Amino acid sequence: MAAEERNPVAESATTDGAYLAAEDLVFAYTPGAPVLQGLTLSFARGRLVCVLGPNGSGKTTLLRILVGLLAPSAGRVRLAGMPLDAYPRGALARRVAYVPQETLAAVGFTALETVLMGRSPHTGALGFESSGDWHAAREALRRTDTERFAERNLEDLSGGERQRVIIARALAQEPDVILLDEPTSFLDIRHQHGIYGLLRRLVTEEGKTVGAVSHDLSLAAAYADRLVLVHEGRVAAAGTPQEVIRPEVLSPVYGTPVEVRTDEVTGRPYVLPRPP
Amino acid sequence: MKTRPLTPRRYVLALAGWVVLWLAVSATAVALGAENIWAWDSWEKTRDVLNLRLYTVLTAGVVGAALALAGLAFQALLRNPLAEPYILGVSGGAGLGVILSSLYLTAIAAPVFGFLGALVTVAVVYAVAQRRGRLEPYTLLLTGVIINAFYGAAIMLITALVSPERRGEIAYWMMGTISTFDPRWSLVAVVGGLALAAAVLFAFLAKGFNLVAVGEDTAGALGVPVDRLRLVTFVTASLVTGASVALAGPIGFVGLICPHLLRMVLGPDHRRLVPAAACFGASLLVAADLVTRLLEGISGVAPPVGVLTAMTGGPFFIYLLRTRWRRKSEIR
Repeated sequence: MAAEERNPVAESATTDGAYLAAEDLVFAYTPGAPVLQGLTLSFARGRLVCVLGPNGSGKTTLLRILVGLLAPSAGRVRLAGMPLDAYPRGALARRVAYVPQETLAAVGFTALETVLMGRSPHTGALGFESSGDWHAAREALRRTDTERFAERNLEDLSGGERQRVIIARALAQEPDVILLDEPTSFLDIRHQHGIYGLLRRLVTEEGKTVGAVSHDLSLAAAYADRLVLVHEGRVAAAGTPQEVIRPEVLSPVYGTPVEVRTDEVTGRPYVLPRPP
Repeated sequence: MKTRPLTPRRYVLALAGWVVLWLAVSATAVALGAENIWAWDSWEKTRDVLNLRLYTVLTAGVVGAALALAGLAFQALLRNPLAEPYILGVSGGAGLGVILSSLYLTAIAAPVFGFLGALVTVAVVYAVAQRRGRLEPYTLLLTGVIINAFYGAAIMLITALVSPERRGEIAYWMMGTISTFDPRWSLVAVVGGLALAAAVLFAFLAKGFNLVAVGEDTAGALGVPVDRLRLVTFVTASLVTGASVALAGPIGFVGLICPHLLRMVLGPDHRRLVPAAACFGASLLVAADLVTRLLEGISGVAPPVGVLTAMTGGPFFIYLLRTRWRRKSEIR
């Protein structure tokens, strides 16, 4: 736990020294309805950052820009000091992994086959996997504790098991950065903590840089090194959980009164919604 | 079934096996038919019959391969297990193109117009059925139904305007037949070349097919250029569909039945499915054509092979709609 309690002194409002950094992002799917309006944030190496914000605040769009699926109409993204669009697709996929919100299509692939797909940025044109690729996939299953599902069809797994397999696929990519879009939506509390505990381990034990979009303020506050609160396409607040999880910060953004208390065991803040 | 690594050795062995299947089915189909050639004493007549049968078997093979590959590609890229050139209206568009070119132009233009008709249809179906880049599964199928109705009306209009003799030809051709009345060896070679090229291209795109079938964002984040993949695949699938329609008319459901039967055996991996679809599609249509020729031996009349595939494929479509499809939509 000691590593978690470390004060993120290296973090500041600027993007200097960040591993993955977005600066003044502007984006609109349809003209006149901007989703992002000058959003700036950064992910420091070896940290777990949670991106919070109300529905429609641009969180998913932000992630899709950060993994190169969308190009911003203004602003820039830098990965390890280089502009994101300077990376060839394959090279980018070997550095940044993405766990989208809706990942299930009942196509019939097993968990192992799904995880092997994470090797595709590493394989050749016909997609033959080497023994090294199989080793990486097996290892990813082991790290996510999903080995026993290896030969089961993805659609036959429970939501929590499936999400761990998808995270295993991201790990098989051997990326530096993993970005996840609401990885615990639809999961019960045991699996919510299972997933965030796993992300926490990836950060502290393996030095991965992890960014997760979340709707669960208390869960994010319990696990993240740093929180970024997005509102109407801009960053409304960023900092440690103690800095962001405060009624005067959250209430105006969510438009509803909240009460914040501190967990006596972990020292982390948590949120109680109050009726308006 | 235990997941096993796909090694180059396994890949080549499987491919060889599928090619052998196609050759064996083709050899059987050349040897059998309405007439018993082995009892004849005139070598010239036997040679002529064998020559025609070889033409039929090769035509069925290249058309079957082309349609199975197109069906597999549409199912992967449209992320819809019921997508197929005939159901989507792509074959109908190609048919309209071929009929229009046959009215005013030489026979060489037929595959080109077939291709254009197919390509325009794919573009229209995709544009209508997608919303913000997402394809609604049922909208896609309904769009195909409406497009097919439109093309059907256009073709009926044309048949109403042409001479009765031409009308009969068009109506028969629209059933999907492998005709030996006027063998067009060069067109068989063109369709065969295109089908082979499509098979090789799709073999290299198969990794991307797998990822797009799982999800477009997943594919993009794993380094697949999704928009380019979609464009190349749709153009190629239209090309082989258009050319095969120019050769044998719109033959339905091969592109549906063949990939699904293979998935039941091989699983969902397109790296395994692409070479299998080419050879198994060829084998399937050669066998179907053999059935029509054997029926000719019994009844004296050969039913068009397209009628046979539609009568088998229709119930198969309903089976898929009730089982695999329902399971899929429930999970979403």
